[in-house]
Amino acid sequence: MRAEKRKLTPGRVLLWAVLIAVAVIQIFPLIWLLNFSLASSNEMFTSGLLIIPKKIQWGNYVKAFVDGHFLQYLKNSVLINGLAVIFVIIISIMAAYACHRMKWKLSSMVKTILLLGMMIPIHATLLPNYKIYNMLKLTDTIWALLIPYIAFSLPQAIFLMTSFLDSVPIELEEAAVVDGCGIYRILVQIVTPMLKPSIATVSIMTFLNNWNEFMMASTYLSSPKWKTLPFSVLEFTGQYSSNYAVQFAVMALTAAPAVIVYIILNKHITKGVAMGAVKG
Amino acid sequence: MKKLYSNKLVIASLILPGILVFVFAILAPICLSIYYGFTDYSGMGTATVIGFENYSKLMQDKIFWKSLWHSALLAIGFICIQHPLAMIVAAVLDKLQGKAEGFFRCVYFIPNVISVAVIAYLWKFIYNPDFGLLNNVLKALGYTGKINWFDSKIAIWSVLVVLIWHGFGWGMLIYYTGIKNIDPVLYEAAAIDGANNRQTFISVTLPQMKSVIQVNVTMAIISALKQMETVYLLTNGGPGNSTQFTANYLYQQAFKAFKYGYGNAISVVFILICIAVTILLNIIFSEKGKAV
Repeated sequence: MRAEKRKLTPGRVLLWAVLIAVAVIQIFPLIWLLNFSLASSNEMFTSGLLIIPKKIQWGNYVKAFVDGHFLQYLKNSVLINGLAVIFVIIISIMAAYACHRMKWKLSSMVKTILLLGMMIPIHATLLPNYKIYNMLKLTDTIWALLIPYIAFSLPQAIFLMTSFLDSVPIELEEAAVVDGCGIYRILVQIVTPMLKPSIATVSIMTFLNNWNEFMMASTYLSSPKWKTLPFSVLEFTGQYSSNYAVQFAVMALTAAPAVIVYIILNKHITKGVAMGAVKG
Repeated sequence: MKKLYSNKLVIASLILPGILVFVFAILAPICLSIYYGFTDYSGMGTATVIGFENYSKLMQDKIFWKSLWHSALLAIGFICIQHPLAMIVAAVLDKLQGKAEGFFRCVYFIPNVISVAVIAYLWKFIYNPDFGLLNNVLKALGYTGKINWFDSKIAIWSVLVVLIWHGFGWGMLIYYTGIKNIDPVLYEAAAIDGANNRQTFISVTLPQMKSVIQVNVTMAIISALKQMETVYLLTNGGPGNSTQFTANYLYQQAFKAFKYGYGNAISVVFILICIAVTILLNIIFSEKGKAV
């Protein structure tokens, strides 16, 4: 260990102190959440920071799991986000290729217009979209979530795809053209495999953007059919308003899938976010 | 070859899905907002066109201006508190190497992957006057009073703390990536010149990070402007609009106060502000980039 060989100067101690203090501030609330979720509500009114529960209350989690519709909402979340990712990838590759490689007069103008979506605040479209989906009878369907999720992830995806398209050597495509490939086959067999890193980035960004979204969901949905994971928490607070321990359990439970996936894919997600943010 | 790449039919088929999504999910709603912004529609019944009345009312609406001010405060909080801390942590993290580096990086980012719904309710509990974590921490430090963190005088600060806390990992990660991308030769040169850590940070790290800082600052200002979800769940703008943000305000006006037309007028102005700020920031930063 190189660090141990170095001298412990006051400056070094201070830096470590900052590092650890920030880490504690970031993570302690979550430890507190986990701790309280395993206690009973009566035990919460202590003056200590953490509680040692007399008996670990796994029952809190059973209640959260069953009454929070955890499985159904998780399934909806996975399905809707998965579909959104797939659509975003396909549409963004097509659009990026059309605007960047194909030769037509309006290409750069159309690209600029599509990228404009990045500047539009999502929440400004809540009111009119509610009206539109109502008129088209789309409220309470999967489309009410899919369409806006795709639309607001698309601009960044197109941006990333176009900037990565530059690194795909055009000679490869030319060779394919000589062999008699059409554009569609070039796109599927040559360009898409070359875009793998940006596809990964786009997937991660789209997932992160939409996984925790609930504002649109709670505006456009009223029946539980397509509700997503955040609703486990939102609906619970009304139902169990005085049973705090169970509320803590449902919060820990709904946070768990994303945290677990993040810890497993830590390195890839870090890379993806970094690439997406720096390029975007 | 050339013919293949300018085939109109192929181009249309490739670009159409993207255009359709844009028109249906972004353009059409904005047009509808513009229309309803000119009406007195309540959400039910008929809509009467009333011209610019909503907009002149909006210009005098103190709550609207206050909500913009809150966004400005949040942006200042991001830039003056969150970012310097994030940059220092990122710089220290970069030096750690090995397991500790990965561990701390992971810890800092975890709050970011947790749903706003969970974060908002968690902080409601943290601020709870009876069993909340924060008052218990104060008690452990020797302070015996009970503080109501959502009192109208201090509620906005309580909200800002949550937002700064939640977004920390994101900002840190981007600075961290920026630092990782700095050419190590520059550090070696600084070491040969006998620079200590602080000097290296100021004369190598900071200048090299300029473009990353610009990206991060831009994103911070825009996200401060667009803030809604955390506030919606944490305080819903209250008590008495003391924590109001623009997006939350337009939502309330449309669905709670039944001023759908007015809500849409706010939406339109809100979109214009977001576009204007984005363009302005890009101009400022690109000109600065040219000057150096």
